[in-house]
Amino acid sequence: MSASPNDDRSFGTGRYLQQTKIQAALDHAQDLGASYAEVRLMAITDSTVAVRDGKLERAIPGQDIGVTMRILADGAWGVHSTTDILSLPGQVESTVKLAKAVAARRASKDRPVALAEVPIFDDEVHWRPKKDVRNTDLDTKLHHLMTLHDSAAEDDRIVSVTCGWHDEHLHTELMTSEGMNRTWSFQRSLINATVTGRDGGDVVSYRTRHGGEGGLEVIESCDLGELGRSAQIATLRLLKSERAPSGKLPLVADRDLTGVYIHEALGHPCEADLVAAGDSCLDGKLGQAIGNSIVTVVDDPTMRGGYGAHPIDDEGLDTREKCLIKNGVLTEYLNHRETAHHFGITPNAGARAQDGLHHPLVRMSNTLIQGGTHNDLDELIEDISYGVYACGSRGGQVDTGRGSFQFAAQEAWLIENGELTKPLKDVSVSGLTLQILKDVDGLTQDARLAAPGFCGKGQTVPVGDGGPIMRISEALVG
Amino acid sequence: MLPDDAVDRISEGCKLIGDLCKKEGIAQWEVVAFQSYGHQLDIEAGKVSLAAGGGEGGYGIRVVEDGRFGYAYLVDATSATPAIQQALDVARASPAIKGFVLPSADEADPVNGLCDRRILDLGPEDLLEQADAVLSEVASLDQRAVVTGGGLGVGATASAILSSEGIESSGITTSHGLGVQVSIDADDELTSSYEGDSGRQLLAQVPPCIASAVHWAQVTRGPIEVNSEPQDTPVLMTSKGFSPLFSMVVPTALRGDRLVRNESFWSGKQGEVVLATDLSLIDDGRMEGGKSASSRDGEGVASRRQTLVEEGRLIGSMWSTRDAAQQVAEGRIDHAETTGCAVRGGHQSPPGTGCSDFTMVSKNGGHSQDALLEQMQDGYIVHSVMGAHTANPTSGDFSVTTSTILRVSEGEILGPVKQAGLSGNLAKALSSDVRLGDDVQVQGSYSSGSMHLPDVLMMQGLRINPA
Repeated sequence: MSASPNDDRSFGTGRYLQQTKIQAALDHAQDLGASYAEVRLMAITDSTVAVRDGKLERAIPGQDIGVTMRILADGAWGVHSTTDILSLPGQVESTVKLAKAVAARRASKDRPVALAEVPIFDDEVHWRPKKDVRNTDLDTKLHHLMTLHDSAAEDDRIVSVTCGWHDEHLHTELMTSEGMNRTWSFQRSLINATVTGRDGGDVVSYRTRHGGEGGLEVIESCDLGELGRSAQIATLRLLKSERAPSGKLPLVADRDLTGVYIHEALGHPCEADLVAAGDSCLDGKLGQAIGNSIVTVVDDPTMRGGYGAHPIDDEGLDTREKCLIKNGVLTEYLNHRETAHHFGITPNAGARAQDGLHHPLVRMSNTLIQGGTHNDLDELIEDISYGVYACGSRGGQVDTGRGSFQFAAQEAWLIENGELTKPLKDVSVSGLTLQILKDVDGLTQDARLAAPGFCGKGQTVPVGDGGPIMRISEALVG
Repeated sequence: MLPDDAVDRISEGCKLIGDLCKKEGIAQWEVVAFQSYGHQLDIEAGKVSLAAGGGEGGYGIRVVEDGRFGYAYLVDATSATPAIQQALDVARASPAIKGFVLPSADEADPVNGLCDRRILDLGPEDLLEQADAVLSEVASLDQRAVVTGGGLGVGATASAILSSEGIESSGITTSHGLGVQVSIDADDELTSSYEGDSGRQLLAQVPPCIASAVHWAQVTRGPIEVNSEPQDTPVLMTSKGFSPLFSMVVPTALRGDRLVRNESFWSGKQGEVVLATDLSLIDDGRMEGGKSASSRDGEGVASRRQTLVEEGRLIGSMWSTRDAAQQVAEGRIDHAETTGCAVRGGHQSPPGTGCSDFTMVSKNGGHSQDALLEQMQDGYIVHSVMGAHTANPTSGDFSVTTSTILRVSEGEILGPVKQAGLSGNLAKALSSDVRLGDDVQVQGSYSSGSMHLPDVLMMQGLRINPA
């Protein structure tokens, strides 16, 4: 079904796309009336390993390849995706026809799709890891997994520890009718553990992750023994925790949860495709103060090591930092070429696709709140008489149109008279974006990315989130 | 949509890989293949924004030697030799599971309703016409309403499995799905609702989810003031609101491996009453037209219909071949065998254990929504939740948020609440006073399989925390 690369192992020299044939296909699309055409291929070499209770559960080496042709004709998109690369040129005519069929149904009030102009590159960009993860053998992966496992399992009340490993080498090629011809590659590596504890009839679980852009050095940079011990301690603590109080309370969030908060509450509503679709509470609010002046938020795919880092976006633009909020003022939407043209703004390289079989959407990368002025957690909680300090993320969700969001913590503490007192479990926080950004009233100085995550928006992409420890004067805690 | 020779092509690919495994002298092997084709439309801002089509597929190879297994996947069957070698290398590095062998061939009757020939004949123009009909319907139901997001699609998948133990099966399934995010942005208030329908058979040109999306965008407008104190109260969750939470927590708790490993809140409770005594849970891998049904499970074992909880009592559990062998070998259970519950996420993963088409029924039957409101008297209706994926499947605890919630007093709907938290323990809530609705709807799942659930009224165990 697929072509083979010239050289699968090296960074830089291997190509899957037969450039002459693809160029002919792009030319053919234009001959048929396309104003723009592109072919983007992604080849992923990955490895997944799982260890359960100290035994190898599964190890899966895999190779995936997919290619997507996107054609803009008469101001509408037609797309064809396939794992059969060699069949692609034969789909040009039907894809142009598809785009024209969509365009023919466009109402007179609707604007045709057009793309903002971008610089054209013909080059290769490779983020070489310090230690190419493709050269890591199974024994080495098992050694790291067992280190994590063993440190997490050291207690009779821990009934199960499952550890996972995932690494991937991502190779992308993009050719467009505008002459863009770029190849880029990078790697990601991730290790995680889920720890289950039981005491009588009480069962709890806690999960921990470490990972980022890069090769084996990402895993080696982590004290996995400490990561496992922390997960074990947290699990045992959850067994003794009480359910969280419900109501509107002062909330302090660690950097994990701060990251999820800013991802859900602000990041998604900032995605320009949702804004253009009328599905964002931030529509029309560029330049307006939407948060406390201490709040500055950036999305930065160039932050090497972050799980959402990537050198080039999936429309071929060099990635760059985006400042979404500056001192409380909404300054920038995340966009791609279509939405940049729609809003008459500069493209900021926010296009990402899950893999070679999906078309790019506007997505976040590494999103974080910048640091504030408080020194530490103690200073943030010292004047809270009754509140909650929530840590670690179990995930979140947002309704971008209504501007409401929810995120859940892995564990928490009750704050009483400026002190952390009882451990709590099952804490979730919800609120309204346009209210809660104003209620952020304290940030510690040390902002950095927290644990790696995944973001779903029809397609799933890896992301990094983080920030400092954050205080919100009042949030709905459940 | 699907090439005429799609099944033949992937079956030949399986045979090719199988022959290579034989040549390598591999004791036991299994090859699965999937090839999918489809068309889809994206809808944004009240119009079709993109039309797409294409196909994808690949092969998965599982090899077993002396109870050790390895797995690898690939796209191109003609270059399978390295993948087979990788799977062998992994198998040889893996611990042996005493007694683990691939399943033997057995008879499996076909399941009806999994392929609708009408879907195979659909093209992009047909989808565009359906999109037109949907957009027109939304506008006709409420001129303020706009489909701000969503899409529709049709697909067909050819699949095949071939093993050294004589299992050889192939077939075609079809799918048709549609989902819309309907928003009403007027008078300085934006409300919205996402609704969807999907199935193996051709959907109606304008399926019921369209009217439902408009309805919920309408009825959540103009929130009323309610007591903002958190309160333990009866909650009527509609099928759409309940299914994501249920799917995250309950089917997972019934996996045999999790039960014997003390990872389920129902561990150690086999034979005991764990739910309200009128409730039964059934996993039906042979449901006609079921979205997750099939004549064979993910490793080729004949699928079956299995009652897991009968009138409140835990009587069964779900197993795949490997999980059963492993838990027996490790001494956690004296005897376990496959229950035809092996599930796969595609060719990229080996089979695990999970449900297929999962139902909850009551021997007391179902009630109309009016009757449920009458029984509830005071409480809330919750139609969708945010954060169902954050529920804890180990404990059953959850704490989620809803913006589609209606206040009920004396059996009458008073009006919407802007936002509220909803928390509790699902296992405990379902073990007390529960009444079911009479309109079963099919929903997706956060774990495996598809949920077939009605509205569920839980009288105890839930807390509402209005914003």
